[in-house]
Amino acid sequence: MSTRISRRRWLTTSVPALGGLLLTGCTRETFVPPHLRGGLIGAADVLTMSTNRLLLSGQQLAREYSRSDIADPFPTWNQTNPRNTEYQNHASDGFKNWRLPIGGLVSRPRELSLDEIRSLPARTQITAHICEQGWSAIGEWTGVSLQRVLEHAGGVLPAARYVVIDTFDGWYEGYDLFEVAHAQTILAYGLNGRDLPRGNGAPLRLRVERQCGYKNLKFLKSIRVVDSMAGIGKGTGGINSDFGFHWFAGV
Amino acid sequence: MGVDGLSVSDARRPAAHSYNVRICHWINLVTCAYLLWSGVHIFLDFPELYWGHTGYRGYPAAFRLEDWGLSWDAAGALGDRRWGRNYHFTFAWVFLINGLVYVVWNLYSRHFRNRMWPARDERSLAYVRTELRDHLRWRSRTHAASGSYGTLQKTSYLILIFVFVPLMILTGIAQSPGFTAAMPALLDLFGGRQSARTLHTIGTVALVLFVVVHVVEIAAAGFFVKVRSMITGQER
Repeated sequence: MSTRISRRRWLTTSVPALGGLLLTGCTRETFVPPHLRGGLIGAADVLTMSTNRLLLSGQQLAREYSRSDIADPFPTWNQTNPRNTEYQNHASDGFKNWRLPIGGLVSRPRELSLDEIRSLPARTQITAHICEQGWSAIGEWTGVSLQRVLEHAGGVLPAARYVVIDTFDGWYEGYDLFEVAHAQTILAYGLNGRDLPRGNGAPLRLRVERQCGYKNLKFLKSIRVVDSMAGIGKGTGGINSDFGFHWFAGV
Repeated sequence: MGVDGLSVSDARRPAAHSYNVRICHWINLVTCAYLLWSGVHIFLDFPELYWGHTGYRGYPAAFRLEDWGLSWDAAGALGDRRWGRNYHFTFAWVFLINGLVYVVWNLYSRHFRNRMWPARDERSLAYVRTELRDHLRWRSRTHAASGSYGTLQKTSYLILIFVFVPLMILTGIAQSPGFTAAMPALLDLFGGRQSARTLHTIGTVALVLFVVVHVVEIAAAGFFVKVRSMITGQER
């Protein structure tokens, strides 16, 4: 690594990190993507994420709408039915044998069935799904707090930095603990008062209401807690950033 | 520069553009070119506009490119939104920082007050009528030859900088799930995320028209001389 790059890295990370010291519970990961892109684009990534996180340091809720705003049927987009054999087998028996493993840096790794997930305290939120392409639609999502699910697995260990979610359609994304701790970050099994339809990600999808649609993964397969995104996929922190999109999708 | 204390007619003598105006102008040109081109790429990937909070393919649209002869797939093939998003948000920061430097510097140097706020005699209807008539006859008797700005020019620059550009920034971030979670009033201000996207697009078209008029005006006043003065600061 050349001196020029390390100086840039120092500059692009130290300023937000200073802000992090001022906010208890916030770490470098709260302000800076796990992988820094170079040049102006990389600097803009850091500016965008740290500005958003400073503005959202109170963990404000995204706008919740009324029932009359709901889109029903909710639009489907991209993958609506993963061809994956394992997924098709689960779908054919109504996800009775589907289990969600929660592993990695948690105190008590475990697997949860759909019924066990449904038995945890539920949260329902009427929020807008905002696709980075430009469309948006409002839906009523019912699910369980991701934070609550991690606590169900004994909570995260001190070294934990990111939660990685894998899906049946081969996608994966990493989320920093600030995003995970948000009240509206839920694993949704219901949409508009019914079971989550297959086209919208059955049996379980993630809702991160302060980020664009592509961070709201569908068809969840597993959850693991890690200390670093290095070595996962191309190491940029998620499949979308592996493809060159923003890792932090708050814009 | 240095027109403090001089009479209005003195201030209209050939005056150089300050360093700040020149540097910010050319950075802004490159920045806006990137913003426009990347914005077109983003739009082509979802070439429909809606009004309100909701909008998706199949939902009643306010504008569909399909109705104007370019199919959804053809538009999608032209637009690269990954490139578009990366560059749009990068140059949005460059635009914001460059704009803040320009505004703060020129508030401090009194550029706005001295050169862009219409003087008393320029605020009369008769002055504006003469100026407008000259414009329509492709003549610039009132001011252009003197190197200072006319009332219409001053007014349009001030509206652009202090009304239009802030609205473009706000309609931009009113589409962002992060910024709207922090500032939900943005959604109410524009009547919804999709309204903001539509207004942002209309604003883009208006800005392009502004640039066309701007360049035509420059051409009418002498393209080479005007461009040189924006580079060197010297009118002749």
